[in-house]
Amino acid sequence: MKNSFVQLIYFGKKFLFFLASVFLLSVAVFYISRLAPGDPLVSYYGDRVEKMSPEERGWVEEKLGLNDPIFVQYIRWLENAFHGDFGISYKYKMDVAEVIGARIGNTLILGGIGFLLIFGLALLLGVLCAWYEDRMLDRIICGIGTVTSCIPEFWLSLVLILIFAVNLKWLPSSGAYAIGEADRLGSRILHLILPMTVVVMGHLWYYAYMIRNKILEEVRADYVLLAKSKGLKKQSVMMRHCLRNVIPSYLSIMAISVPHILGGTYIVETVFSYPGIGTLSYESARYKDYNLLMLLCILSGIVVIFCNMAAQIINEKINPRMKSDAVTVPAEVTKV
Amino acid sequence: MAELLEVKNLSISFYTRAGEVQAVRDVSFSLQSGEVLALVGESGCGKSAMCKGIMKLLPTDGKIKSGSIFVNGADITEYCERDMYKLRGRLFSMVFQDPMTALNPSMSIGAQIAEAVKVHQPGITKKELQGRVIELMHMVGIDRADERMKQYPYQFSGGMRQRSVLAIALAGNPRILFADEPATALDVTIKAQILDLLRDVQKKLGTAMIFVTHDLGAVARIADRVAVMYAGKIVEIGTAEEVFYDPRHPYTWGLMRALPGFCEGQETLYTIPGMPPTLIHPPGGDAFACRNEYALSIDYEEEPPMFHITDTHYAATWLLDERAPKVIAPVGRREDE
Repeated sequence: MKNSFVQLIYFGKKFLFFLASVFLLSVAVFYISRLAPGDPLVSYYGDRVEKMSPEERGWVEEKLGLNDPIFVQYIRWLENAFHGDFGISYKYKMDVAEVIGARIGNTLILGGIGFLLIFGLALLLGVLCAWYEDRMLDRIICGIGTVTSCIPEFWLSLVLILIFAVNLKWLPSSGAYAIGEADRLGSRILHLILPMTVVVMGHLWYYAYMIRNKILEEVRADYVLLAKSKGLKKQSVMMRHCLRNVIPSYLSIMAISVPHILGGTYIVETVFSYPGIGTLSYESARYKDYNLLMLLCILSGIVVIFCNMAAQIINEKINPRMKSDAVTVPAEVTKV
Repeated sequence: MAELLEVKNLSISFYTRAGEVQAVRDVSFSLQSGEVLALVGESGCGKSAMCKGIMKLLPTDGKIKSGSIFVNGADITEYCERDMYKLRGRLFSMVFQDPMTALNPSMSIGAQIAEAVKVHQPGITKKELQGRVIELMHMVGIDRADERMKQYPYQFSGGMRQRSVLAIALAGNPRILFADEPATALDVTIKAQILDLLRDVQKKLGTAMIFVTHDLGAVARIADRVAVMYAGKIVEIGTAEEVFYDPRHPYTWGLMRALPGFCEGQETLYTIPGMPPTLIHPPGGDAFACRNEYALSIDYEEEPPMFHITDTHYAATWLLDERAPKVIAPVGRREDE
C-alpha cells in the first residue's frame, strides 16, 4: 500500500517534469522560429508574395494571425493546441496533424527497423569482437568499424546512390515507392535498402564498440575466473555470465539513443528524398511553416524527453544485484 | 605411487609493457593426494600466479615459460583450453581471495552452484541437481539452503559468499583444491571460521589442498607441509613441523621473527629490512641477499641450490653449505631443547 503510493509519487514527479520540459520546449521553439529571419507568407503564397501590396500583406498577416505580438500568438496557439487544433500548414493548406500523419509512418519504418537492426547487429558484432579479442577478426572489424563510423552520412548516401542507382541501376535512388506502387511491399523494400544501409552504418559501430568494451570489462572481472575454474566452456562463460551483466546497461543506453537514431534519419531522408518527417522538418524550418514546425518539434521533443526518462528509470530500477560492488548492507544480511 | 601433482622447474612470466615480469622462477614441488601444502610468502612473490598457472587461468599476458606440470603422471603442460575444461572443477578447482567479487552478481547463489555441478554431470535430473546443491550448501555450513539458494550474492555477507565459493569449488569433487588466500579479505572472527571449515571439509573429502597465505598462524593450523616462496622461488620446503621448529632459510627466520608472538616484551615488531625485489629484472645471485643480515658474499654472485636437509626438508641458502660459517637460527628451536 505504502509502496504503491511511493511509486505513484515517483511517476507523478516524472510526469510533471515531462510536462514542464515539453512546455519550455514549445515556448523556445515558438519564439526562435518567429524571431528568425524569413517570410512565412512565401510558403503560403509562393512567388505571388513579391507582387503583393502592403495592404494585401497586412490583410493576409491579420488573417493568419501573424501581426499580433509573439506572446499573444503563443497563447492563442497554446489554447488551440489544448483542443487538439495545431493549426494548418501554410504550404500544404491542410491540418498539420494530417500532413504529419501521412508521412510519419515512413519515418517510423526507416527509423524503427533501422533501430532494431542496429540493436541486434551491434550486439552480434560486439560479442564477436570480444570473443576474438585482439586477434585478426577483431582487429579487422574494429578497423572497418572505425572507418565507417567516421564517414558522414550525406556523403555515404551520395556514394551509394552513385554506385547502386546511377552506375549499377540496381536500386532506386529516391522516394519510398515507385509511382503507383504504394501498396507493393517489394517496391517499398527496394526503396528502403539504401537509406537503411546509411542509417545502420552511421550508428552501428558506436554501439558495437561499446558492447565489445563492456564485455571485455566483464571478461576481466573476478567472477569469470571462478566460472572458468568450475570447468565452464568459454561460450558458457561469455553468454551466461558476461553478456548477462552487460545487457541491462545496454538496454538503458539504447533507450537514450532512440531519438539519436531517429534524428539520424532526417539527413538520410533529405538526401534520398524519402517522404518522411525528416524532409518535412527541413522544409518547415526553411520556409517558415510555423505550425508544422511547432508540431514536429513538439513530437520529436516528446520522443527525446520520454526516451531519456525511460533510460533513467531503467537505470534506477536495475536491480541492485547488478551492481557488482554492492557492498551496502541490505536488510536481509544474516550473520555468518 | 605417482604423485597427484608434480611441478617441475616451472617458470611463469607476465609479458607487460614494462617488460617481462618473472613471477614464478624455476619452481619444483609435488603434492600427494589428501595432503595440505601451504605456500607462504610476501605479496607479489608469485604464489597466486603459480596456482593460476597450474590451472591455466592466467590473464592473457601471463605465460608458462618453461617447466612442466604432471597430474597423476600425465603431462598437462601443453594442454589447450579445450582439454582444460575437462580438468577444471573435477581435477582441481579454486577458492579465490576476494569473495566480494568472485561471484557473478546477477546470478542466484543456487544457480551458480548448480552450474558447477551440471557442467560435469550433464545428464543430472532437476531434482537430483537441487538435492546436490542443498547438500553442498549444507556441507559448507550455509543453513536454510532451500531459501538461500534463490538469493543473490548481494544478499550474502562476506563469509557466506566465501562459503558459497567453496561450495562451487567442491561441486565437481576435485582432487586438488587451490585456496588462494581464502581468508585474507575477511575479518578476523570469520577468518577463523572459514579456516576451520576448509580444514574440516578437506579432512572429510580427502581433497589435497594448496593453501596460499601470508598468515603463518593459519599455516600452523592447517598445513601438512609448508613451502616458503620469495621472489618467485621456493626458498624452503618441508613438513610443517620441520619448517616451524627447524627453519633453515634466513627469510623463513625473518618471517617468523616478524610474528607478534616472537616480539613479546619488545617495543616494536621486527620487520625484515628493505623491500622485495622487482621481478622485472630480478637480481643475480640470491634474490634475498641484500635484505639478509646473514648474507655471505657468494649470495650476491651465485644462486644457492636447494640443499638437502632431510628427505622432506630442503632450503636454498648458502648457509647450509659445509664451508659456510655456522649460524645459530634466531627462531624455531623447540622449547625443550
